[in-house]
Order: sequence, then C-alpha cells, then structure tokens
Amino acid sequence: MITTLRATPFRLATASKAISISTFCFPLHRRYHSYQHPPPTSPFTPAESAILSAALRHVPLHGFSTVALSLGARDVGYLDVSVNLIPRGVFDLVKYHLVTERLRLKISVDFRRLEQSDGAENLSVPAKIRVLCVERLKANLPIIHRWQEALGVMSLAENIPASVSELAKLSDEMWFLAGCDSHDMDWYTKRAALSGIYASTELFMTQDTSADFRDTWKFLDRRFSDVKSIENITSNIATWVDFTAHAFSNVLQSKNVRFRL
Amino acid sequence: MANRFLYTSSHSLLRSQLQPLASSALSHRCRGLNSAAAASSGISDTKAASSRPLTTREREFLERAIRVNQAGELGANLIYEGQYAVFKSDPRLRPLIRHMWDQEVHHLDTFNKLIAKHRIRPTAMRPLWNIAGYALGVGTALLGEKAAMACTEAVETEIGGHYNDQIRALLDMLKDDKELLKSGELRELIDTIRKFRDEELEHLDTAVEHDAKGADGYVILSTVIRGGCKAAIWISSRV
Repeated sequence: MITTLRATPFRLATASKAISISTFCFPLHRRYHSYQHPPPTSPFTPAESAILSAALRHVPLHGFSTVALSLGARDVGYLDVSVNLIPRGVFDLVKYHLVTERLRLKISVDFRRLEQSDGAENLSVPAKIRVLCVERLKANLPIIHRWQEALGVMSLAENIPASVSELAKLSDEMWFLAGCDSHDMDWYTKRAALSGIYASTELFMTQDTSADFRDTWKFLDRRFSDVKSIENITSNIATWVDFTAHAFSNVLQSKNVRFRL
Repeated sequence: MANRFLYTSSHSLLRSQLQPLASSALSHRCRGLNSAAAASSGISDTKAASSRPLTTREREFLERAIRVNQAGELGANLIYEGQYAVFKSDPRLRPLIRHMWDQEVHHLDTFNKLIAKHRIRPTAMRPLWNIAGYALGVGTALLGEKAAMACTEAVETEIGGHYNDQIRALLDMLKDDKELLKSGELRELIDTIRKFRDEELEHLDTAVEHDAKGADGYVILSTVIRGGCKAAIWISSRV
C-alpha cells in the first residue's frame, strides 16, 4: 500500500487515461458472442501473462505488491525493471487474477458431471448459480489472507470503473454458464443482484475464521434467500399494479370508452 | 389515387434497393420462403471456430443490430397489442391485426433467443418502450381505423428501411468471405432479417390498402411517428 501512495503523483496521468478508457466500455459492455468465430484475444500480451501468472505465485508470501511483481518477472527471465511495462502495476496483477479465474469457471464447473454424481436430474438455474459462486470463491482460497489488499487496490478511485466492470463481467459469465436466457429487465436485476451477493460474500470471506469457511457458505445462502424474498415483494407489487390497471379499464368501460386491457 | 401510386412506386424502390448487392436476381420474397425453415428456427448450433475472428467494429455492429432489432420488434408487438385492445370487437379488423401481431410475436421471439444466445445486453429503455409502444397503438387506434393504419405504415416504413440498412451492412461485412456468405451464423442472421423485412413490408402493403393515406392529418401523424421511430432506433442501439 505504501508503494501505491508514494507513486500517486507519478500515476495521475495514467490514472486519468485508464478511467477514460474504462468508462468508455463501462459498465456492461458486452459484445456479440459468436459460436463460429474465435473469441477475441486476451487483454494481456503473452509477456504480461507470463510475468503476472508467475507473480501471482508470490502473492501468498508478499501480497499484492510490486515485490511480488518483480519476483514474478525474475522467475520468467525478465529483468526487475520490466515490471514497468505493465501499465497499471499492482492493479493489473489483481485484474489478471480476476480475469483468469472468471474464464476458468467454464472449464472447472461441469454441470453434467455434477448432475450424474449427485443423482440429481437437472440442476435448477439458482442451484447452478450457487455452485458457480462457491467455485469462484474457492478460487480465492490460496490468497484469501491477502485478498483485502487486492480489495484495497480495487477501491482506489482510478481503479473503480475497471473493478466494477470486472464484477459485472463475472456475474454475466455466471448467469450465462447457468443457462439463463433473460432478455428483458430481468437481465439487469439478475446481474445486479448476483454482483451484490458475490461482492459481499467475498468481503465476508476475508474475515471468516470458521473451519472450511462454513460461515461463508451460510452467509452466501442467507444472501440468496434475501433475494428470493425481494422477488416475492416485487411480484406482489406487479400483481397489485395489474389489478389496479384492470379496475381502471373497467371504470373507463362503464363510461362507454371502447377499450379493454 | 395519384398520390397512392407515387407512394407504391417508392415502396417498391425500397424493396429493390438491395437488388444490385444480392448474389442472385431472384425475388427476395422467394428467397425468404426458401430460407424460411432455417430462419424460423433462427438458431442452429454452429460450432467449429474455424472462421476468421470478427473485428471489434463488427462485433459492436452485431451487438447493436440485434439489440435494436429486439427493441423494435418489442415496440411493434406493443403497438399491435394496443390496436388490438381497441379493435377487438370489430369483426373486420380483428383478424387482420391479429395476423400481423402474430407475425411480430414470432419476430420478437426470434430476437429474444438471439439476445440470449449471443450474450447481448438487452436495451435498458425497455420500460419506456413498453409504455410508449402501447400508448401509440391505443392512441392511434382511438383516432380511428385510418389513423391506426397510418401509424402501421409509418412504423413499418422505418423498420423496413432499417432492416435494409442492416442487410446491406452485413453483406458488405462478408463481401470478401465467400464461405461465410454461404453458410454460418451471419448468413442465418441475414436470412432472418431478410424474411422479417419482407413480412414488415407486407404489413406496410396491408396498411396502404386500408387507406392509411386517407387519415386525418396524415402528414403530421406520419412525420411524428417516423421521427419517433428514428429516435427510438438511435437510442436502443446504444442504451
């Protein structure tokens, strides 16, 4: 954290550039996903990927810091100074973790195998979402004692747009993998709700001292049941609005207006 | 009458705008029917990532195109739903509106599936379009049959032109890829849009046959609705 503070004046220019780029593709910019054409290339160059993945291995010991970055660069045969090639330094290290773990979900979670081993016929979409959430949270386990540092870096003003965008992408990925086919306002509410659940559980997990993170999974389940009760409330409101609209149209008809809902 | 003749010729111009670009000179309607089976399913699982990667621009175009098409079909559905609410008791207009509405339901359904399949964010303006579309349908229908038909005519003219623009852009995108032009995801999208364009233009014909031009204040009504459509298309493709 000290290194970040020291570098603040030096970083202002890059920060403003980063914000303008991030806000350009902010907040929920999805591009056409093709099944026939290969996906766009990774946002990291091969050199960056090599350094960052090596640096991640030093995070448990050295935290999300420039030290970890330098050690990572040294591991894959680059000079310490080559760390300067990574545009946003420590934040890119955090982002690399976020992006790779997000993309790993579709490989690591196999619902078909899960269904066979559990003997369950078909997992429901909420059940799949829970599996995905747990899987993604477990990916933080090796670095969970350092994750608060990462959350600190992510919450710096210059990094917020990119962090929020990454959270939105994660929740979009989860809904897609769970097989959700929303195409109306549900699309937004689902993603917003899941982002909230995931982010709060992730924060809870950093302070969880229970064995096997039992409290974290309980916390996660409580958040899911909260959302269910909110859904009930909104559907009640919708029913009321519908009823009132029909009552209104009946009043209109009694005044001889030719109109029926 | 002269007015109507003029109009019809400009309409066929709209339809034929694409002729020079199309690979053969067959009528679009025939081609639409041939590809109906492929297009009606709208979704076939084309795997094998062997094709060239799409550029960022192309992906952005496709994203916007499918989003705006879904929003447009949603609007069209709501307009017919609104008109239907008023003309329900009219034995002559009821089946006519119902038929057009049913086709729009199929269009919307197809684009809903495409939105989910290609992971495209649906438009955030949906609540507004819900109200605006329905109000436009009910409002014009309450003004009378001719006004309702004038509304249909204005909307379908805009949608027809908009679909034509998209087909042109898609064909332009694929002009150097003979394989992609023959089969695949984008080919299916072109066929779908072509088929829908033809159906929208049929609705346009129907509206003109029912004397859309004879509505009171036709020019004002048509100009306002077409302007509204243009604005809605611009907004929906972005937001």
